[in-house]
Amino acid sequence: MLRTEEMLLNVGPQHPSTHGVLRLVVKIDGEAIVDAEPVIGYLHRGTEKLAEDLNYTQIIPYTDRLDYVSAMTNNYAIVHATEQLMGLEVPERAEFLRVIVMELNRIASHLVWMGTYLLDIGALSPFLYAFRDREQILDLFNELCGARLTYNYMRVGGVKWDAPPGWIDKVGSFVEYMQKQMVEYHGLISGNEIFKQRTKGIGVYDRKMALDYGLSGANLRVTGVDWDLRKKQPYSIYDRFTFNVPVGKTGDLYEKYMCRMNEVVESLNILQQAVNAFPAEGKIMGKVPRVLRVPEGEVYVGIESPRGELGCHIVSKGKDKPWRLKFRRPSFYNLQILPELLRGQNISNLVAILGGIDIVLGEVDG
Amino acid sequence: MLGLVKGLGITLKNMAKPKVTYKYPDEPLVMPDRFRGIQHFDPEKCIVCNQCARICPTDCITLTGKKHPDPEQKGKVIDTYDINFEICILCDLCTEVCPTEAIVMTNNFELAVYSRDELFKDLNWLHNNNTHIRSENSTNLMPKAGGKAK
Amino acid sequence: MNPWLVLGPVILLLIVLGFVTYAIFFERKVLGWIQGRIGPNRVGPWGLLQTVADVLKLLLKEDVTPKKADLALFKLAPALAFIPAFAILAVIPFTDTIQFADFAVGLLYYLALSSVTIIAILVGGWSSNNKYALLGGMRSAAQMISYEIPLVMSVVGIIMTVGSLNLNEIVEAQKEVWFIFPQAIGFVVFLIASISELNRTPFDLPEAESELVAGYHVEYSGFRFAFFMLTEYVYMFAMASLTTVLYLGGWNAPFGLTFIPPIVWFVLKFGFIVFFLIWLRGTFPRIRVDQLMQFAWKVLLPLALLNILVTALLKEVPFLGKFY
Repeated sequence: MLRTEEMLLNVGPQHPSTHGVLRLVVKIDGEAIVDAEPVIGYLHRGTEKLAEDLNYTQIIPYTDRLDYVSAMTNNYAIVHATEQLMGLEVPERAEFLRVIVMELNRIASHLVWMGTYLLDIGALSPFLYAFRDREQILDLFNELCGARLTYNYMRVGGVKWDAPPGWIDKVGSFVEYMQKQMVEYHGLISGNEIFKQRTKGIGVYDRKMALDYGLSGANLRVTGVDWDLRKKQPYSIYDRFTFNVPVGKTGDLYEKYMCRMNEVVESLNILQQAVNAFPAEGKIMGKVPRVLRVPEGEVYVGIESPRGELGCHIVSKGKDKPWRLKFRRPSFYNLQILPELLRGQNISNLVAILGGIDIVLGEVDG
Repeated sequence: MLGLVKGLGITLKNMAKPKVTYKYPDEPLVMPDRFRGIQHFDPEKCIVCNQCARICPTDCITLTGKKHPDPEQKGKVIDTYDINFEICILCDLCTEVCPTEAIVMTNNFELAVYSRDELFKDLNWLHNNNTHIRSENSTNLMPKAGGKAK
Repeated sequence: MNPWLVLGPVILLLIVLGFVTYAIFFERKVLGWIQGRIGPNRVGPWGLLQTVADVLKLLLKEDVTPKKADLALFKLAPALAFIPAFAILAVIPFTDTIQFADFAVGLLYYLALSSVTIIAILVGGWSSNNKYALLGGMRSAAQMISYEIPLVMSVVGIIMTVGSLNLNEIVEAQKEVWFIFPQAIGFVVFLIASISELNRTPFDLPEAESELVAGYHVEYSGFRFAFFMLTEYVYMFAMASLTTVLYLGGWNAPFGLTFIPPIVWFVLKFGFIVFFLIWLRGTFPRIRVDQLMQFAWKVLLPLALLNILVTALLKEVPFLGKFY
């Protein structure tokens, strides 16, 4: 018998497929992973602590930088929690705008995931196709709120900007364009035998394990749990739209991919309905006091971000600043399952499994 | 095998599609009107109310006022106004609260410099940054006739 | 002494260097076009001097050697990788007149010498004293040795048909029918195995960017890195030439279009294969390392053996026999 030795391999924080600054300390035996430990915190900015010193409007730009791939949902988490605590009414038009931008952002986020995931697996072109289409969403956002990534768009009680003339129609034509693009993606990726080989039956976990680890979003739904907060605890005006929640069966990486791709289709459905039902006129800001003093109390709201349940917990002592602010950041919770999934796998599967979880380091580190 | 061939067909088809890249440094990138670029500051309009400095989430604005040179007039006029673009996140909150639209956004976004010190922009620089000014800015405008803001 | 003995290889080296420069440029352009981009267009007209600038940059860079590397081997590896890559070009018949060495076992010489590069890659990966490089080197060795076997087996069909290992005679035998038709199975096996030998997508595991960062040459910089890069593209040149010679009829003109000079035909066929390799790179994801091995031993090798059997059988069939 040949004497073999285990080797400690440092994957990251500077590694092409750790999606930012995640570091994995991987113990490997040949190419088989014996143990893996994620080391996080390289992008920690202490958003929650900073927020204690900021008033509620000032926190919004900070949330843009948590999950920078889908900043709109983060914006919504903080303003929604504040509105709940203050008992504010939000005008209908503002709610429509919020839903439209959140769903657009969900598509953008899934496109980024899809592109980078395929890049992890070794395909170059889908990444650029995904970014080409995402660019259209970013251009729409740029026109709406003046920024492509850090939107700072929502305000407590409404949204900052009304849709510029013709913007809603542009969203409508984007939906049509994107529906055509989905066919191309499926042709290029979903049917590709090498992609299937790489993802089918890899990184499997069952429903119990997913629930035990507190997974949410597509990572949970892929095991067959029908759990989408837009359906289960409808917020904003999601109860007005009809859409399906794609769920998987086996929980492997291929189904995760299919789940996310189908979510894009469902988001397009919602967008279509929202564009059709968009109120012709109306206010975009509710009646909001000039200085936001949030009554004493606590509130937790959970919303469905592209990555899972994004929660916002505010403890207020009646000041214009939160006494304590806590974000339940879905990537952080979803990452916890990684060591469990990696044990016994091959190095090549490492990037496939890590990519499948869909983490954004800004969110993991907070 | 069929999926592989289909993929090859799709990439071949994409070769003929028009290119989507911008010719950026050769041709300036035109941003939509609402784009949040570098601020323009108009000292004539400023009433030294300090709202912008207070709302700024990163504390990048520092300003000082002085007494109005004309003893007849009440109030203050601006003396110095600096924005530190090392930490400014162009979040738009300062222009949103400004009651007189003294600080407004422009569409200019090119801020690259060789030294960090150059990112510290003063009143004059901000005043001269007067191209591509955004058309709508404040949501907190003071009524024209003066008096208390609504 | 015949001056061509010295001048010929020098000219060939220049041609190969020119090819490598523009193969890299062409690859980047084609990938750009596939991906909705323009590709390099800043240096020189249409970006034609991009690779020249890149190489100049590499030459000017500091020659970094890791402190704990095995210096002798570390410095030897790039040269060891490049020499066989260039040496195998000697036997390629570009046309009936342009060839440097015409000897009886040309094909064997090519296949045997090209495997020396594996040692260089292993040496480079091991001597860098880097874990990623080591993993890349090991993968590379395993992959290239495994795929060497189906590669050799797949050409046995041709050798049986022609009855010679001489590349000139192989091309001559394709005057009527290119071997791609009677040897279809062999061609597919050869093509897949050759892509794998070249370490190109979808078999680019040794330098899998997203897994191993850069694989065996992760610690190399400057000129030494350029040498590895050069080796890779010279092999691409050699392998595309060999594919043309073995299966696409070499310099032979199809449909009797003999008024076009043979070298043009060779370049056209050769160019198509190079484009095909780039096209694959723009489309496919990377295969996994264990699947790669299984694919070589369980699919390609049996197929190659089957091809030999079929060739041997069909040789005896009255009508079809003349193709074999």
